[in-house]
Amino acid sequence: MALLDTSGRRASVSSASAQPETRATSKLAQKLELNGFTRRDFLKYCGCLAGMMGLSQLAAPQVAEALEIGAEGGKLLPVIWLEGSSCTGCTEALTQGTTPDIPQLVLETIALNYSETLSAAAGHSLEEARRETIEAGSYLVVYEGAVVTAYDGNILRVADEKGTDVLLETVKNAEAVIALGSCACDGGWMAVRPDDADAMGVQKFLSEHNVDVPVVNIPCCPANPEWLTSVILEYVLTGHLPELNDKNEPAALFSQTIHDNCPRRGHFENGEFVYQFGSEEEAKGYCLYPLGCKGPQTYAPCAVTRWNRSLSWCVEAGAPCAGCATINPMNPQANWVDENTPFLERHRDFAVGPITFQPTTVAVGLTVLVVAVLGVHCAGMKLAGRMDGGADFEPERRWDEKHGGPEAHEAGARAQRLYDDLDEMGLEPKNTGLHRKRDAAARKAAAKEAPQAADSNNDTHAEGGDE
Amino acid sequence: MAHLAHYREAHPLPMVATHWVNLIAMIVLIVSGLQIHYPLIPGVMGIARGLHMFFAFVLVINCIVRIVFAFVFKSAPAGGTRRLVRDYKTWLPQKDNKHQLWAWISYYLFLRREHPIAAKLGVPQKIVYLLIAPLIFFTAYTGFCLWGPTMNWPVFTWGLELVGGPMNMRVIHYLCMWVFIIFMCIHIYLSLVEGASPATLIFFWKETPGLVYDPDTMNITGFDGMGKEPDYGETFKDPVRAAADAAAVAAREKHGKE
Repeated sequence: MALLDTSGRRASVSSASAQPETRATSKLAQKLELNGFTRRDFLKYCGCLAGMMGLSQLAAPQVAEALEIGAEGGKLLPVIWLEGSSCTGCTEALTQGTTPDIPQLVLETIALNYSETLSAAAGHSLEEARRETIEAGSYLVVYEGAVVTAYDGNILRVADEKGTDVLLETVKNAEAVIALGSCACDGGWMAVRPDDADAMGVQKFLSEHNVDVPVVNIPCCPANPEWLTSVILEYVLTGHLPELNDKNEPAALFSQTIHDNCPRRGHFENGEFVYQFGSEEEAKGYCLYPLGCKGPQTYAPCAVTRWNRSLSWCVEAGAPCAGCATINPMNPQANWVDENTPFLERHRDFAVGPITFQPTTVAVGLTVLVVAVLGVHCAGMKLAGRMDGGADFEPERRWDEKHGGPEAHEAGARAQRLYDDLDEMGLEPKNTGLHRKRDAAARKAAAKEAPQAADSNNDTHAEGGDE
Repeated sequence: MAHLAHYREAHPLPMVATHWVNLIAMIVLIVSGLQIHYPLIPGVMGIARGLHMFFAFVLVINCIVRIVFAFVFKSAPAGGTRRLVRDYKTWLPQKDNKHQLWAWISYYLFLRREHPIAAKLGVPQKIVYLLIAPLIFFTAYTGFCLWGPTMNWPVFTWGLELVGGPMNMRVIHYLCMWVFIIFMCIHIYLSLVEGASPATLIFFWKETPGLVYDPDTMNITGFDGMGKEPDYGETFKDPVRAAADAAAVAAREKHGKE
């Protein structure tokens, strides 16, 4: 425990560099060797960690020594790993199936003191270990999964205790809580509509219970273990948590979008897109934007750190980003699933009660409706004879007719006379709507008949074949 | 016969220019924006994004310039007159269109037969046009919340936080475009349905004959034929112009007879 205060931790780093021979026989080194990793692999990894912490890659040896000293001492910093309402996917991401890799070995060796999933011990003895760690104080809590509060917290019970009580008890003496994965950040999948479990993230739950422990949110589904390792190691090496953004995410990791660093970005700029899975464009590795890639809206360093021992990640593997790094820690209803589904559409769905719809549907529907109404209105304008300036002006404003002074009435009377005159002169004929049209048609017909009548009087033989 | 004379004073040349810029910028923004929303035409994404950003600045700056113009230039307070007032006054409530909101709505709903006498802009027209400026600024703001180089500025992260993230911002920005589209449908329809005169004036600065409005008595006083048809009543023309127009009409009639 002496290692845990800041000065002690720094001392351990410097003493490590004074005794390089410990390196050769360190437990961690043996463990790495047993799993087939070379010293070179390990140092490369330490360089990555240093980079993620904002240090120069030249700090890799110091990071390596700090890790090894911690491993030698048995534990550098106790970490309690709690499971909330989770799928254990974040743990699985850490253990990565069949082959353990360096981050896992490092975490196991230096930090992981209690984990419901990974600890060999079980039952009372494990719970006892947790209580002892809490009593001793100065530890980190990693919380995986959502905090579910339905039925007064009874919806999740662990070791005959409410899950919510376990969390409150465990964070009591913690130096910080790392909310690992989107569920722990804001409820994630667990909070998706209709959210029967009343799920929320650790940050919201703790602030509702007035617990003042710093919370670090590490989103994604699952969270990348390398980000977790970097946060823990930064705390170990420097004694403080990484700089956080306004969502309590490590600012250095979550300040750029997937789109900013995407390996397919060039195809995006060139306008080379995949429109359909199984197409020729997909085979060429074009940009997945038309298939609903949420990369442009999602802040995460996936494209930089990548996954599974930096092997690949979603977009590189051919799947459009689903936006799983979207979190709103104080608003579980804005979890990444509700914000980003359907995953293969450019826009999210909106919901009114049980009906979900795309923004485009509403917008196009409304526009078509407006155009249809204008079409009907246009027919009305035509029928009323108002087209091409056909409508008559009111001689006096209707308001003035009732409320206006004598000048307004006088101007109105003058305008009325003017309109009559203009109508007579044919300069601006009045529009009497349908009546005018009917009258005009009647006049035209009369005019046509009249000359015919005149013609027939004058020359009955001209073209009177019918007679 | 609600045919007012369309004088250039209604839309002075600087305003004709800003209207052209608005039209071009909005059309480019809508087309390029649709392409950015869903790249229907492959190969032009870079061009679409470049144009979209360029014309976003054009539209915003043009809007600011138009607002400054309102305080710098003068324009007619009503159609059918060459009288000039400071342009911003034609955007504020005017005596000429007091108590006319319902008059206009009922006219367009065919609930009354007669066309209201109004100022240069009718009441609903004035309200909607005034809303366009805030809509341009708002849409630009939502756009800058989504644009890489500015999305991390505190003024824009504040907005992103408020609406719950870039996805919602993207949808809001997209829906703003449809508000513009719906506005344009109605605007184009209403400006053309009673004749092309308003359009020929705002686009080509071409005057057309019609009734003359007296801003003092706030009513129609005469008819200005502009040399194409005979004048009638009070047209407020100087004698030289009146004589020239009369001569033009006479020549036209003579030519017509020949």
